[in-house]
Amino acid sequence: MRPGAEERDDVALLRGVRRGDEEALAALYDRHAGWLTLRMTRRCAMPDVVDHAVQDTFLALWRQAGAYRGGGDVAAFIWGIGVRRLIDAIRRENGARRRLPWRAAEPAVVVSAEDQVLAGIEHGRLGQALAQLSPELRGAIEATVLDGLTCAEAAVLLGVAEGTVKSRCHRARLALRAALADQQAGAETPAHPRQAWGTS
Amino acid sequence: MTLNMRTAAIRVDGLSRRYGATRALDEVDLTLEQGITGLLGPNGAGKTTLLSILATVSEPDAGRVSVFGLDPREAAERVEIRRRLGYLPQELGYHRHFTVAGFLDYVAILKEITDRRRRADEVARVLAATGLERRARTRIRALSGGMRQRLGIAQALLGRPDLLILDEPTAGLDPEQRLRFRELLSGLPGDPVIVLSTHQADDIAAICPKVVVLLHGRVHFAGTPVELAATASGRVWAADARDPHAHLSWRGGDNRWRHIGDAQPAGAELVTPTVEDGYLLLSHAAGAR
Amino acid sequence: MTSPCPDAAGPVAGAGWHAGADLLASYAAGTSDEVATWSVEAHITACGQCRSALSAQADPQRLARNRSVLLVRTALPDGGRTGRLVRRCGVPDHLLRLVAATPSLRRSWLLSVIGVLAVVTGEAAAVRYGWIRASGPRRLAGYPDPEVLAPFLLVAPLLVLAGVAAAFLPMVDPAHRLAVAAPFSGFTLLLARTVSALAAALVPVAAAAFLLPGPGWLPVALLLPSLALCTFTLAATTVMAPRGAAVTAGAMWALPALLLAASHVPLQIVQPDAQFACAAVLCVSAVVLLARRDHFEWG
Repeated sequence: MRPGAEERDDVALLRGVRRGDEEALAALYDRHAGWLTLRMTRRCAMPDVVDHAVQDTFLALWRQAGAYRGGGDVAAFIWGIGVRRLIDAIRRENGARRRLPWRAAEPAVVVSAEDQVLAGIEHGRLGQALAQLSPELRGAIEATVLDGLTCAEAAVLLGVAEGTVKSRCHRARLALRAALADQQAGAETPAHPRQAWGTS
Repeated sequence: MTLNMRTAAIRVDGLSRRYGATRALDEVDLTLEQGITGLLGPNGAGKTTLLSILATVSEPDAGRVSVFGLDPREAAERVEIRRRLGYLPQELGYHRHFTVAGFLDYVAILKEITDRRRRADEVARVLAATGLERRARTRIRALSGGMRQRLGIAQALLGRPDLLILDEPTAGLDPEQRLRFRELLSGLPGDPVIVLSTHQADDIAAICPKVVVLLHGRVHFAGTPVELAATASGRVWAADARDPHAHLSWRGGDNRWRHIGDAQPAGAELVTPTVEDGYLLLSHAAGAR
Repeated sequence: MTSPCPDAAGPVAGAGWHAGADLLASYAAGTSDEVATWSVEAHITACGQCRSALSAQADPQRLARNRSVLLVRTALPDGGRTGRLVRRCGVPDHLLRLVAATPSLRRSWLLSVIGVLAVVTGEAAAVRYGWIRASGPRRLAGYPDPEVLAPFLLVAPLLVLAGVAAAFLPMVDPAHRLAVAAPFSGFTLLLARTVSALAAALVPVAAAAFLLPGPGWLPVALLLPSLALCTFTLAATTVMAPRGAAVTAGAMWALPALLLAASHVPLQIVQPDAQFACAAVLCVSAVVLLARRDHFEWG
């Protein structure tokens, strides 16, 4: 199926959910719950918490499907809700009482430069640069850039203080910039074969 | 919950209960173990009274009850019993406006499951166990009798009880549903103590490995269905004609007469007794006293 | 890790590239490294094909279980906007659900309360505007004949009492035996229902008292008698049948009210002396109720 057609199906299903059609919600679940569960599991090791977060995500879709404004991937919209439900679930597990607003960030219609990079354009060099970062710095970048979380939300996910997240992001960006600059200045071709997407 | 395997899970000693002039229960002694026990007796024999006392809904006039070593007369122990209990009363009323899921959610709260996500997990589990998943949104008043019975069983299963008390659970179930009911009961995790009451002997034969016969508020038999059937051995006959001297006679499905009596009727041959024969003989003997 | 699609001649993003089976499998198993993980996640946001391929790696039993729980949760009402508001105020969700099953909160009951009150108020207003001649000789300064208020003073606390009695009479709760056999405290259940029934019944009564042509302190003055009657009824239920308790409480109010109305001083029933008496009844009943609350744990 071409990406365009499937996107239209998702939008149609969301419209069905907004009308209160339970079958549409079930169909949306069947399409998206699998990858959502796996993606959440990479951020939270507690399966019960992930289960509840997945349920909460589709429940939020059921109750407030009208928030999807069109323009942008439905999957990104679902992930935006999902990651915040996951953070709420982690907070509940830790006993915290404050609730995050569930509203997803508007998925950007224009692909940001960061997204382009992550999707693999300059992947080889960035991959190397990222690989040189320590796990803590990488985790901070992942939460704030890839998941689009605020520093407060990222702090809950990573289990550290908010100030720590901020300083780690700052250091990570500095390190990445330096590493990329080194590579460009240094060599024409990368010293190692391409990491993730290269041939084994 | 630890259970000393040598003491019975449920003990009843000298239980008595009156309603006005009627003795509903008269010096009942009983022990119940894990697994399914059937309480067999006609209407008015005291089954419902006994079950409601075991379920800590009523108090006896005399006698002692011990459930998992706990005494229902002590307030704290009574709450503990109720935590381990699943009860299906005989005439279960439902809030008419409730949906199936809403009613189960309500009962789950009564069973102290306060977290709403855990409640939803439990409700989904019992709906799946009783085959009512597609009915989650149906209003109770729109359910058929058999489905309402299944809903009653579902609510009893909430919270994974260690003691399941079911008052006439097979009433209104057809044979296929009864088979599914037996499979459901045999497949319960944790091997709970299950007591169910019925006035039909074939329910016992089909479902229960142990049976207690209750007549006029007294226990007349406690053992296996095979043993119950055996109490009538040598006293059940089949013939082509009626026998006026037999205790009981009736025409069976095969168009032959079945007699229960002490003397062999003319032209009759001895047949292997069924559980129902044993029950009818006991019932007759108790009535004659 | 192997390179995937033959289209990918190089590290080019775009329509041609898809994540390979090995990559997705290692992502699902949690063994892919950070960079590969990021790439998969950024990619599947845009690519439905790889999303489906990844979803196929998830545990089908777990997905099915969550699916059925999700459908149960969509089937359960969450109380709507009022429910969310009440929860934000700190009321536990489960108490809210229990109270929602209270018969006396049903709209029909509330409507009948309002209906009766409307009749009574209408009668009082009719007298005030001279459509019905009031027969009593006395007048309070600035107010119409207080006898006009007599029917309302008689009925108002009784209506509150009726609303509360309906909340806990077993015959009105069809699943009463289930509630008894369950560990949740019968007394807590009773209190939760009583308090909400009290609030539900008091609001129309207070509103009507406010609207009536009479002393401005009337709504407040009815509060204590209503509370006292309800607490007395609950306490009396621990020693007699619920219906008898409610009738006794009703009589305890109705007889003095009728007597005072016959003596042409109906407002005496809400004067300070009477208020002290109500307060005393309330305190004694509350003490008795607490001491005997174990009664509500049995069927």
